[in-house]
Amino acid sequence: MYVCLCLGVTSDTIGRAVAAGATTSKQVADACGAGSECGRCRRTVRAIIAATESDRHQPPRQP
Amino acid sequence: MIPETHSMVLTTDYRVPDPSRVWPLLQRRRDGLAALGAHHVFVYTSTVDPERVLVTLALQTREPVVELLRSRAFFEWFDAVGVEDLPAVFAGELIERFDFVDDPGAPGIVVAGVMCVEDPGTFRRHVRDTRDLFLKAGIRRVRMFEAFDDPDEIMFLHELADEDSARRWLQRPDVTAEWFSDAGVGAYPPLFIGRLAHMMRIES
Repeated sequence: MYVCLCLGVTSDTIGRAVAAGATTSKQVADACGAGSECGRCRRTVRAIIAATESDRHQPPRQP
Repeated sequence: MIPETHSMVLTTDYRVPDPSRVWPLLQRRRDGLAALGAHHVFVYTSTVDPERVLVTLALQTREPVVELLRSRAFFEWFDAVGVEDLPAVFAGELIERFDFVDDPGAPGIVVAGVMCVEDPGTFRRHVRDTRDLFLKAGIRRVRMFEAFDDPDEIMFLHELADEDSARRWLQRPDVTAEWFSDAGVGAYPPLFIGRLAHMMRIES
């Protein structure tokens, strides 16, 4: 999904920035630009960060 | 070289203080929609959240999707209906459609969401192979769209005859596991449950 409409940044790109270590919307903006223009997508950026954090704390799935 | 036109749908799902303002606003912007290449506009209103709407534009355009999304028109629509935090936008194309009834009559209940699948080709074959499941569950129509930015990302619409059928569909653990588990996670909106409220056809 397209999250940052100003720069055309997708949820996949933001997810990769978060996986690479970004933990705040500012760090995501520095990494891929999302949220650096009008800033109106930062709520979604924060939701992606939270989902990734939550994923990290899940126990590994059983095969 | 002149780029070829391509078909796409753009879908946004958001909450606004007064959803009744969305449709008149889109009607007033008919010329602007035509300029973007829109040929149909669908507005769904939620039956479980009175402030929630889902808007789908079907377009035929030469513009790259990122150019469309950054156009002033989008920002002006969001401003006009009072959306401050911009929702994520699904942009993609129709890849699968099942129609189980010829004339569905009154709009049914639509269950819509976005999901990520590991292998889109296998998933599509599985859906085709199990299409009887939809028919038996009272599903009238199924639509699946593949995202341009991520081929593993699929937006789906399941239209059911009525609220009872929808309730039973939503309570099935197998359906929930297969279709609804990504709803509300990260950029994906929570599952949308509602009805088609308005449809506009725009002649080019």
